[in-house]
Amino acid sequence: MKTPKQLGVLTGRIIRQNLTNADTIITVIAMPIFILLFFVYVMGGNIATAGGSGSAAYLRYALPGFLLLTMAMGSAYTSMRINLDRTSGFLDRLHSLPIPRWVILGSHVLASVIFMLIAEVAVFLVGLLMGYRTNATISSTLMFIGLSILFGLGITLLAIPFSLKADNAASAGGFSYVLLMLLFVSSALMPTKGMAKPVQIFADYQPMTPIVNTARGLLDQATAVGQHTGIVAFVWLIGGILVFALLSYRVYVRMFLTR
Amino acid sequence: MNAIEVRAVTKDFGKLAVLKGINLDVKQGEIFTLLGANGAGKSTLINILTTLSQPQSGTVSLMGLDPTKAGNHVRELISLNAQTATLDGEFTGAENLRLIAQLRGIKDQKVEIAAIATRLDLTGFLNRKVKTYSGGMRRRLDIAMSLIGDPQIVFLDEPTTGVDPQNRLALWRSIREIRDAGKTVFLTTQYLDEADALSDHIAFIHDGVIVKHGTPEEIKQRVTTTYTLQVAPNDKDAADQTLTTNGIDYTQGEHGISLTATNATKALTTLLSAQITIEHYDRDEADLESVFLNVTNREAANENA
Repeated sequence: MKTPKQLGVLTGRIIRQNLTNADTIITVIAMPIFILLFFVYVMGGNIATAGGSGSAAYLRYALPGFLLLTMAMGSAYTSMRINLDRTSGFLDRLHSLPIPRWVILGSHVLASVIFMLIAEVAVFLVGLLMGYRTNATISSTLMFIGLSILFGLGITLLAIPFSLKADNAASAGGFSYVLLMLLFVSSALMPTKGMAKPVQIFADYQPMTPIVNTARGLLDQATAVGQHTGIVAFVWLIGGILVFALLSYRVYVRMFLTR
Repeated sequence: MNAIEVRAVTKDFGKLAVLKGINLDVKQGEIFTLLGANGAGKSTLINILTTLSQPQSGTVSLMGLDPTKAGNHVRELISLNAQTATLDGEFTGAENLRLIAQLRGIKDQKVEIAAIATRLDLTGFLNRKVKTYSGGMRRRLDIAMSLIGDPQIVFLDEPTTGVDPQNRLALWRSIREIRDAGKTVFLTTQYLDEADALSDHIAFIHDGVIVKHGTPEEIKQRVTTTYTLQVAPNDKDAADQTLTTNGIDYTQGEHGISLTATNATKALTTLLSAQITIEHYDRDEADLESVFLNVTNREAANENA
């Protein structure tokens, strides 16, 4: 019973740090909401989607992409929190306490996924206030939640090697720009077919597009998303999780367990 | 029983040998201080003793347990206070203490936190956010966190670095109280006066090797304590002749005849036997700083030879 309690205590500490830090709230929750408002009400009317044109059609198209964008922005803070714990010596203090080693980074992973889901829910609620309506079934809603968890887990595991290796917290979150770039150059915020041909090819075959399309299809049953897209998204997510978990484990072992 | 036993421990980082066969015994209930310059190997040894790192070779035992085989049991018995205070600034002092109490599975957390806060003069500040604490208060809170769970061995890695004199004295008092409560304190410090004031035993580590160890008094006496004696002006030549004839090394200084600890007694008895009047006899005890400089300079000279 001691280990789950320790995991809960450390996870609660990190979530509380995030929820009581104004900078984190602004970047991870307020900024995505601002970008959503800007894209929908300033640019959305000029972007034609399969559902038509206009702000409402754009919101319906883009909200799932914004939800994943919100999670990606949260990954920068995951990396910063781990890095701060490492550079301040807090990880060493935890390693010198009678806590199973996996709990220490496991709490960061769990807290990161939970905090990303909190941010995602906040942006989703704003989307609802803006007029977004989902026609998802219970099963597709559960599948969307599952996809969000896998996505959050994948980018959290990707954040760990950067967070452990970075010299300081400011540079630890730098990798998240790559995630954001991948989301911008995907079907997350606009359809890929209007993109320049080389960019379109990249956008169609990089992992974010099938993941976003699957998320869109799960929240909006009217959007036709082939089963193939869902399988590709799942393969990317599971493959990413396995690769990043292995990478994170190796960096962690080298830095903390075999030093 | 020894709280800590270190036998022939080595540690390399690539081609750099940081620890080159360390042997140490730390008795239960004492303050043991490891002194050394930056890069001498102090933190590496602390990391090994606190299960953060493994030795390349050699063995380590804490309260009879091998940390490489019983890491979690060892971690139940120890606590580490690192060089920098590891606190959550946005949380209150009480919340920081509670975090460690929860992780250690303490049942009566309120009582334990209150008792430790009283010992470290933190009671009035417990409900304030740590980011409002002064440097000394942050250090005291950090040490308080190390005492949660009643650890048998407390590792304090340079606990007073950057702390003002008043808080430094308060921390010294707290460190003595930890020892007086029967706990073992393993201390590293850059301040020689601190080692002198607090330690029951001291070891000098230089370039990965323990070059000197003992009580502060033993070390000071063994290395550089000098004895000065003054003879009556009429006996000065006779004293010179007597000491030279008997093969006793000495130097004639401004204040009289200077002798080392090894030949002072022989010189005294020889001069007294020769009916030479000794007007003044004094012992100039070295401070640890001169011992430290003596040791490190001698090692450096050996390396260059």
